[in-house]
Amino acid sequence: METVYIDKHADLVNECRNGSRKAQFEIYKLYATAMYNVALRIVNDDAEAEDVLQEAFLDAFNRIADFRQETTFGLWLKQIVINRSINYLRKRKMEMVSVDGVEIAEELETDFEETHLKVEAIKSAMAELPDGYRVVLSLYLFEGYDHEEIAHILKITENTSRTQYMRAKRKLNSLLVTKGVAR
Amino acid sequence: MSNKLEGFVRDNKREFEVKVPSDALWSKIEAELDKKKPVKKTFGMYQWMSIAAMLLLTVGVYFGYQYQKTNAEILVADINPGMGKKEVRFTSLIEEKRDSLQILAATDPALYKQFITDMGKLDNDYQELKRQLQTSPNKSLVGKAMMKNLEIQLQMISQQLYIINQVNQYKKEENSI
Repeated sequence: METVYIDKHADLVNECRNGSRKAQFEIYKLYATAMYNVALRIVNDDAEAEDVLQEAFLDAFNRIADFRQETTFGLWLKQIVINRSINYLRKRKMEMVSVDGVEIAEELETDFEETHLKVEAIKSAMAELPDGYRVVLSLYLFEGYDHEEIAHILKITENTSRTQYMRAKRKLNSLLVTKGVAR
Repeated sequence: MSNKLEGFVRDNKREFEVKVPSDALWSKIEAELDKKKPVKKTFGMYQWMSIAAMLLLTVGVYFGYQYQKTNAEILVADINPGMGKKEVRFTSLIEEKRDSLQILAATDPALYKQFITDMGKLDNDYQELKRQLQTSPNKSLVGKAMMKNLEIQLQMISQQLYIINQVNQYKKEENSI
């Protein structure tokens, strides 16, 4: 999957710049599934994730002139997808509670029993997380952003991001436990 | 230990991404792409034109208003209503006497012309004062000067009428002899 993000599609991107519909379709086929899952993890709703995807691709194709080769096309597109997804969350009034200075010290790291780690279990537990927890968890865990980047994306402080992440992990664990996965 | 979740997700990321968007999505995107391209251009043009029109209108209204403001003449009546009444009375009297002067002086065009030029000088002064009134800081002083001017005009025209009468009388007497 990681190979997708290496810009071996520079030629395709350039054809898109010239408005080639075929190249646009190729790009869509390459990135649609990955981007759909990015959106889905954040908005937690199939239909909304599709809306996000549609808007993001349209946005990307219409603004492709703005895309400079400073980053790969995949990362650029992912940023658009994430921003659009977060906009959907904001419409839902996601609360990013600021918890600066609270509990930043020694939070006990949550231990995940190996047996709890089952893909389907984690997915369904994530779906049950509050929006604020899920978005931080998915950006850090799945999209590989660090807390500084997450703070920038969500317009919160780094500490808030860290705390949200730790709480999200703890909540996820307790959800996995109560679901009785592998017990 | 604490990185177990992170490690697990990293190792199994592929398995997390099994859901795919519906097949109809690309045709929706394609339809939007077809729609957007031509529409966007003409709409942009239209928008720019409407912005330009709005600007023009705003500027026009602004300057029109300014123009009107500078054009609004200050009248003596604005300074002092009493003076305004006086002005109206004087000017109508002068106008009246000027008419009778014209009739009486019909027999003596040279004299009439002389009278008219004398009156013209005074009237020019009056118009000059009227102009000064627009800008002068001491408006009541200018207003008073205007009244004085009208008074003199009235006196002068009365005298002219008197002279004309005398001349006519004299001519009559001469004819009767």
